[in-house]
Amino acid sequence: MWPALFRNSALPAVEQTVQFAERRHALLAGNVANADTPGYQTRDLSVDNFQSALKDAMKASHATARNPLSAKTSGYDGLSHAQATENVRESMKQILFHDGSDVGLETQVTEIAKNQSMHSTAMAILRNQYHLLQMAISESVNV
Amino acid sequence: MISALDVSTSALVAQRVRLNTISGNIANMSTMVDENGENKPYQPRFVVFQTDEHKAGGGMAAVKVASIETDEGEPLHRYQPDHPLAAKDGKWKGYVAYPKINMNEQFVDALEASRAYEANIGVMEVTKSIVRQNLSILA
Repeated sequence: MWPALFRNSALPAVEQTVQFAERRHALLAGNVANADTPGYQTRDLSVDNFQSALKDAMKASHATARNPLSAKTSGYDGLSHAQATENVRESMKQILFHDGSDVGLETQVTEIAKNQSMHSTAMAILRNQYHLLQMAISESVNV
Repeated sequence: MISALDVSTSALVAQRVRLNTISGNIANMSTMVDENGENKPYQPRFVVFQTDEHKAGGGMAAVKVASIETDEGEPLHRYQPDHPLAAKDGKWKGYVAYPKINMNEQFVDALEASRAYEANIGVMEVTKSIVRQNLSILA
């Protein structure tokens, strides 16, 4: 009952998004930390890759949910970390400075801000989902 | 998530070391005698930053001070024949050797270090807010 309950809501997708945002934040923090390191190349996770992988995983999950007899994999297990979060790309669209480093502080700070708002959006949805579950469990709106 | 804080902290430490060497350079702008009493002008120092992969792990890049180098370049020579430390003979007879420190360079470097410090503090604030949000799920 419980796996089904959680799988049919948006919880797993939101959870993955939160995890992704956290991993990406750690990498972006490293970029700012190495702003003055000669030869340092920025590291990042591709948001597009993550979102398309998430989309595929959601599709697969919905397909198995419709005919439960053929369900083999549960939830979003198909979306492994290797696919979604370990894909560190060397972004080549930055300005290369004289010391061989390509950390544009403004770009990084903007990415951090974007990533943070992505994280807080996902967190708000997550909190809302739990609240809804709580409401359903207690059969009362005053949770 | 906490390891993002470690990454930022490593940068704070590195930038502080850099600021310390700059302070040392400016403090010793006119130091003409070394710690052993020899007539040797102070040589400016500078830090070399290096990416530290082992501090946080997981592809995260912390930063560390790889080494503190000394600028071995020629000192500045000023003609002051009456100065007690003036060279008695040789090519620079009558000249006094002063440390080769460009104050403008040092100050710009100090400014850059303190701005980088601030940037990392900003990132730490973001990290803290993310952690706080995560904890708020429990409450």
